[in-house]
Amino acid sequence: MDAGQRLTDANFPEHPEKATLEGKNKFLGFWLFLGGETVLFATLFGTYLGLRHMNMDGPSTEELFKLPTVFLATMLLLTSSLTSVYAVLALKQNRVRTLQKWFIITLILGLGFLGLEVYEFMEYVHEGHTFTSSAFGSAFYTLVGFHGGHVAFGCLWIITLLIRNWNRGITLVNAPKYYLFALYWHFVDVVWVFIFTVVYLMGKVG
Amino acid sequence: MADHNNTETNIHRNEALQRKLAFKEERKHHNVSFIMMILLTLVAFYAIWSDKVADSFAVLFILVLAVVQVFFQLYIWMHLSHKGHDFPLWGMISGILFAAITVVGIAGLIWTS
Repeated sequence: MDAGQRLTDANFPEHPEKATLEGKNKFLGFWLFLGGETVLFATLFGTYLGLRHMNMDGPSTEELFKLPTVFLATMLLLTSSLTSVYAVLALKQNRVRTLQKWFIITLILGLGFLGLEVYEFMEYVHEGHTFTSSAFGSAFYTLVGFHGGHVAFGCLWIITLLIRNWNRGITLVNAPKYYLFALYWHFVDVVWVFIFTVVYLMGKVG
Repeated sequence: MADHNNTETNIHRNEALQRKLAFKEERKHHNVSFIMMILLTLVAFYAIWSDKVADSFAVLFILVLAVVQVFFQLYIWMHLSHKGHDFPLWGMISGILFAAITVVGIAGLIWTS
């Protein structure tokens, strides 16, 4: 069978994302990449933890952070993680339209999160908290901005994936791609869990 | 012959039903872990927002909550608990181990300087 052929309910494998050697390789490679990303973010977290009180004359974490915005952003990203897992569930049942629907909702929630983050950063700049204002500023924008960059990259990724495969149905070629995107998106949410805990919540109690 | 065909369709139907039930079960797991994660988040925000919880305790407490939430993400949403995830599991465990050493190492180096 041609791997690019639309799968039917009759020949649908139990794990379409791992039914080919290429799919297996992508799956393993992507998990190792996520292990490496964990360490990458750890370097940024370590730097931030070391520098977070060095705010010079700028506002401190207690003065700066507003929990309602952070809470809303957290809910958006958490819900988008759920909708992407629904998309994977649809993938396993060969329901391509349902998969597309859930990934589009995931994308919208991700864009909402990004919008909130841009708004938040603009507020901070107004209050004198910039990338170059202090060591705290540099560490903060590097860590949180790097996560935001991951969200932005994820949005571009799912947009191209959806457009490219819009009329294709689920095949052995695109099933691993959809699956890996969902893994990536969950990972971005995992990093956010530590950002809202370590940066924002711990920032509120000094 | 007719009987034989009948059994086969029945078996096929039975398998399809089994699969459907398995998906339903999986969906339920996802919904439950979503609700759990919302609760963990709410508790973490409350612990910091409220004055009733001592700050030093709250910091430790929310770090534990974060770890629990990540466990839900990795095991249930990213399917690490499923079969055939031995290599990914070791990849992530070693990643997390190095990450922990990195965070403590870097933060400690800056702190003591």
